[in-house]
Amino acid sequence: DVKSEPNETLDLEEWKSILKSGIESYETKKTETQEDPSLNGMRELVEMWRLAGRAVPQSITTEQLQVLMELPTKTARKKYLKYLSVREIIKTNQKEKKKELKESSKSKMENLDQFETKEGNPEKKNTFLLHVWDKSIDTVQRWKCAQAMKFGLPLVFDMVYEKYMSRYELENTVCQLMESEGWNRRNADPFHIYFCNLQSGGPYHKELVKRYMGAWDNIFITATDKPHVEMFPKEQLVYLTADSPNELIHFDPTKIYIIGSLVDKCQQTGLSLANAKRLNLATARLPLDRYLKWDVGAKNLTLDQMIRILLCLKDTGDWKKALSFVPTRKHDGFVERAASK
Amino acid sequence: VNRNGSPHTIAVFSAGAAKARSEVMQHKAKTFHDSENTFPQKGQIEIPSGPLEAKEWSKLKDESRRVRGFEDFMMSQMISANSDIDVAKSLLVFAAKEQSGISYKLLLKYLALCVRQNQVAEVCDVYDIMKNKFKTFDTGAYSLFIKGFSLTDRWRDSISMLETLKKTITPSPVNYGHCIQGAIYHKDDELAWALYDEMLKADLTPCEETIQSLFNADPDLQHETFRNKLIGVLDYFRDHQIYPKEPLMQNIKSWFESIPNESWKGHLSTVSDTGYCQSCKQQLESIHLMPGEYMTLKDVFLRSVIEGHDTFRKTTPQELQEFCQFVKSRPPYDIVVDGLNVSYLTTKGPRSQTLLDVVSSLSSGGKRVLVLGRKHMLQESRIWLRHHMNLLQQRADCFFLDNISEDDPFLLYASLNSGIHCRFLTRDLMRDHKSCLPNAQTRRLFFKWQRGHQLVLPFYTPGNKVHLQPIMCYDTIMQRTDFSWHIPYDKMGVDRASFEVPKTWLCLQKKH
Repeated sequence: DVKSEPNETLDLEEWKSILKSGIESYETKKTETQEDPSLNGMRELVEMWRLAGRAVPQSITTEQLQVLMELPTKTARKKYLKYLSVREIIKTNQKEKKKELKESSKSKMENLDQFETKEGNPEKKNTFLLHVWDKSIDTVQRWKCAQAMKFGLPLVFDMVYEKYMSRYELENTVCQLMESEGWNRRNADPFHIYFCNLQSGGPYHKELVKRYMGAWDNIFITATDKPHVEMFPKEQLVYLTADSPNELIHFDPTKIYIIGSLVDKCQQTGLSLANAKRLNLATARLPLDRYLKWDVGAKNLTLDQMIRILLCLKDTGDWKKALSFVPTRKHDGFVERAASK
Repeated sequence: VNRNGSPHTIAVFSAGAAKARSEVMQHKAKTFHDSENTFPQKGQIEIPSGPLEAKEWSKLKDESRRVRGFEDFMMSQMISANSDIDVAKSLLVFAAKEQSGISYKLLLKYLALCVRQNQVAEVCDVYDIMKNKFKTFDTGAYSLFIKGFSLTDRWRDSISMLETLKKTITPSPVNYGHCIQGAIYHKDDELAWALYDEMLKADLTPCEETIQSLFNADPDLQHETFRNKLIGVLDYFRDHQIYPKEPLMQNIKSWFESIPNESWKGHLSTVSDTGYCQSCKQQLESIHLMPGEYMTLKDVFLRSVIEGHDTFRKTTPQELQEFCQFVKSRPPYDIVVDGLNVSYLTTKGPRSQTLLDVVSSLSSGGKRVLVLGRKHMLQESRIWLRHHMNLLQQRADCFFLDNISEDDPFLLYASLNSGIHCRFLTRDLMRDHKSCLPNAQTRRLFFKWQRGHQLVLPFYTPGNKVHLQPIMCYDTIMQRTDFSWHIPYDKMGVDRASFEVPKTWLCLQKKH
């Protein structure tokens, strides 16, 4: 059906007249004119990029536009717009899912109502247990954490790296800290977590208060602006860093381990090792190469992975179990020698 | 520490060395890349060879089972196949009649096809239509219009579009390039040079094509000031160590040869290891830094590479002080050796043996040698024998750093500190240390110094003589005297890495 000769009746310029006739329908939506002209120009440009099929958000706020204008390079702007568009997509998807869930539960309830009216009041079930609500689980966990505050092993997060991180990296770090705290809370025998060198009013503190909302003053951790070397005896401290020349052989409950709160996306090699060297502290790295056939990715793990590994080590002392928290995409399974142990 | 050396005789810093090295390594490892998987592409539809009726298009669309984006997909296929513009037009007719209509994206793709085929009338039509429909365009459309209009009568429009672009973003060097080409083509050389200066001010690097169009400008424009500006372009190349590619080199050659009243003659040439142009036998600029430059480099190097923001990152303050005192207390050295790098030259025999042999052969001529190592080398082991290390310390000065300190910065500093005659031996290309330097200017200084002072031992077999690669004594940079120009250029088909310099030269001579 592929023609080789142009059809005589075909008007190749017809599309132009069609387009010209339909001008009104195409007019882009008018934008607010209160904004200053450069912002407005940027807003229009973003809109046109969207029409051209680039990864940009459907709607953009004035604050976001200002951030966009302040970015120094074209690449930075493109990245920021892509980030915004991805976030927007995730948000709309979540909204839709919520709506669906609401509707389905609504219809379920209706069905239940119908059922109940049909059958009359069904007899209440006999049970010797009350329903365990989330609230009771919370209470138990808090009780355990309170105990850990009194008798638990200390685990230190070193918060000195604020100035080495970009905004995104700092946000990621706070996310990881919150997740670590969550994993710790759920453990049977939690650590007593210390946030050392935390400057009140600094970016870390601000972000933590913002993310925890009201809960910041109620979580069972010790947050202090004092450095770890002042709070604990120096010879007990071990700084965990992937750049360390020493391997961690086994978890020693008499030592106090320090984890640097740092998300390092631009390869600041040796940053935490330099810190440990300056304070003259012992250092250690996880024996990843001894137990795992490493494949891709950096050897520095996220904070929540670190705390899960340490929790597991503290509870069981089993490296294989502990290192199961290393992301599987980074390695090719366990080394046989270790597996046979 | 770079251990990936290979037996070849290409000097490490000349164009193509990295490529050759990687080929040798690939051959060694016998790794063959899987032939590219050619998956049969899903929904592949042949592009019609002639315009289709709307009905036929809709039939094709049904067959393709692409509900969304069929038109966009077809148009993209047409762009990559560079197919006839009439086919694209018929697709647009079909799209206009469809429910979805012609989207901005589709128009943009059609525009790209028109610009690619240089369909000036069509570009103008699309411009008028789009201008009516949309208040502004995106950067892609502006770029296409700038390119499409630059060589036509509407070239002024492309200049004004460049102005519009500037309000929101920095235009790309390509955008500037097209505008400059347009201005030159329409004999507005003042505008062209104004745009060129503006581009340099915005810290953009001009494209090769832009420079070509300037050198190719109409002879009517080539008055005295124009010629001086072109010489300025060449100076810019020299300052930024940009080397022209072969086509531009040809343009430069013919431009010189066409200057009236000056009889220039150009030859393609190479330069001998001793620094003489093979064509005119003239000696080229020396690779050695000026004393002022040398001092700057030394200061900047200590400040930004070793100390950095945090001395603990690479060493400790005690160690740095100890080292500085050590270097100060001894007379200057002739050669500084990266002990670990040299000891890894061969896998045969103990490491200490290799190091000892190489250092002995270097110091035999009465040269003062400093060997940098790490403390673990002093521990007796299978690969580090105690008596070798003792002999080594008799034949050369040694400094052993902490096991977790970096040795390369100390090597470079010791060598810089010993003075302009001092050289260093390692196979490491030092790219990571170069990148620690604060600006492009000092990086270029460092690279020049490195080329003039780094000794390279590409391969070594135990028991054989030590063959060092000759150090270039001339600088590979565009240079001139009153009666000559020497311009290094990139030959076609040679892949030059950023840490290499070209080997081919254009030699221009003025008869007098």
